[in-house]
Amino acid sequence: MTHGASPTDRAAALPTHDDLVDERIVICYYVAALSFLTISMIAGLLMALQLVHWYPFKGVELLSPGRWRMIHTNAIAYGFLANAFLGTLHWAVPRLTFHTVASRALSWFIFVAWQAIVLATAVGIVVGPTLQDRPWLLAAAKAWHLPMSLGAQGLEWGETPFWIDPVALVGLALVAVNFMVPIGRSRGPMYVSLWYFMAAFVWTFLTYAMGNLLPEYRVAGTSAGAIGGLFIHDLVGLFVTPLGWGLMYYFVPILLKKPIWSHGLSLVGFWGLAFFYPLQGIHHFLYTPIPMFLQYGAVISTIAVELVVATVVINFFGTLSGRGQAFFDNLPVRYFYTGMVFYFITCFQCALQVTLTFQKLIHFTDWVVGHAHLVMFGVFSLWLFGIMTYLFPRLLGRPWWSRSLCEYHYWLSAGGLAVMFLDLTLAGVFQGYYWASLQPWDVSTNGSQPFWITRVFAGLAMFAGLICFLVNLWMTARGAEATDPLPARAAGTPAA
Amino acid sequence: MTRIQSRVTALMAVVILLPSLYGFAGKFLEFVHIYRSGGGGEFAVAPILNYLLASAGFFCMLLWAAWNGMFRDMERPKNEFLDNESRLDAGVRAPLFRSHP
Repeated sequence: MTHGASPTDRAAALPTHDDLVDERIVICYYVAALSFLTISMIAGLLMALQLVHWYPFKGVELLSPGRWRMIHTNAIAYGFLANAFLGTLHWAVPRLTFHTVASRALSWFIFVAWQAIVLATAVGIVVGPTLQDRPWLLAAAKAWHLPMSLGAQGLEWGETPFWIDPVALVGLALVAVNFMVPIGRSRGPMYVSLWYFMAAFVWTFLTYAMGNLLPEYRVAGTSAGAIGGLFIHDLVGLFVTPLGWGLMYYFVPILLKKPIWSHGLSLVGFWGLAFFYPLQGIHHFLYTPIPMFLQYGAVISTIAVELVVATVVINFFGTLSGRGQAFFDNLPVRYFYTGMVFYFITCFQCALQVTLTFQKLIHFTDWVVGHAHLVMFGVFSLWLFGIMTYLFPRLLGRPWWSRSLCEYHYWLSAGGLAVMFLDLTLAGVFQGYYWASLQPWDVSTNGSQPFWITRVFAGLAMFAGLICFLVNLWMTARGAEATDPLPARAAGTPAA
Repeated sequence: MTRIQSRVTALMAVVILLPSLYGFAGKFLEFVHIYRSGGGGEFAVAPILNYLLASAGFFCMLLWAAWNGMFRDMERPKNEFLDNESRLDAGVRAPLFRSHP
């Protein structure tokens, strides 16, 4: 671009959306993400049925609840969230930087490879333990000094079998290269979303390597427990959170047609996350033999992160100021801000539950399960639903088939999640007091039954919401005639 | 950036940084004492190193960003970004629902 060029010439020289974004890959990532979300939710429902003694596949080894619980958590993290984030990044990064990804061929290779990695993880978790004792495997393990576990690795949320880890790391490195090239080519002060994305590419690779390789090959015992704690939490805070916040900083101003309230404050949030997040994972292991100064350090850094979160929440609600009606009129905006309210609640919970006093009551209880669902579904999944609700009409070239089904999706997802969260939180308090009063184990499990039954129905509501979304998407993609037109005032407002 | 935005930003920075730095400094000194006394400090080296390496990397990035003028006109990117988005979407009409105007 020459300095002497007129504004019209400069505008003409800029690439267009079609030059920058390969919409087919965004659609493919979203379809893969929704497929894995369906599998994950079915697996979650199976586990919920097991707890209320209604498990439909008793005695079927390949469908045992222990294995399908891991499918539930892994399919959400690596199948749904990772795919949905990658698809959205293929939309956002080129538009933010005005440069295409490093290579479109590489993008397609990563897409195929990532699906293979997620599917191989599922196969390893489900089939691995069944093959574990076969003589040929024992002989191979002995001959090549391999770890013995063909199935899940003994690390919460890092159960990807050891033989997939190197491939997954190569995949994550390629993702980083593919997106860092356009970011590196952009000039001038960067918008906050790019800071978050850049950090996420580095953090995710390092977090995955630390969690999956160190406890498997280098450290053991309680030290491995400390690494495991860092891994679980860093996966939330250094993979999911920066991508989620980065995308919110991208989509919220576009939908509200208004810049973010304070870009400076958003940078305070970013750098606060960078410096205070990495140490807090050990708060998962309070009261363990891990040295107390590390546990205290984790508590303090967690509380510091809550203050960082407050800056982000203030910034987004400051942006909404004067555009409050959009929360009611615009469905994607409603998804985003519902997620933000849930995010504030989950972070407020975090600040409480990392204190030693609180941990005495809630450790190992369903409180933690409710907390995890609130953040993974109530925040990040709702945000991604909002993004998909906004982008699918652009990607498919036609409006949604049914606004009602979109509304059902929102209310069943948000409402079901709210019920599940409150139910599990209460269950956790009851369980904590049962255990603290030294009552027999059976008393606590029997006392939990009403909560677990409620959880099944809350999960069914959330799953019904997903079915609404999938039916709507199918009908929209087929080009079916739209139903239930609503007054113009009630419709969403995508970019004009 | 308006005056109130500057004040809120500065206030939040102070509220976050001061207690956190105080806490970290205290715990780090405690760690050094325990490590020197040989009472299990080595046990914690892995997570501490993990944190220090990550933070050192980001500290270098912070310096690089400041050196390259990323924080000189902090509010400019938010307006440029929206201008670019409207330029990219100029003429695009993609209502979410059929009835949308």
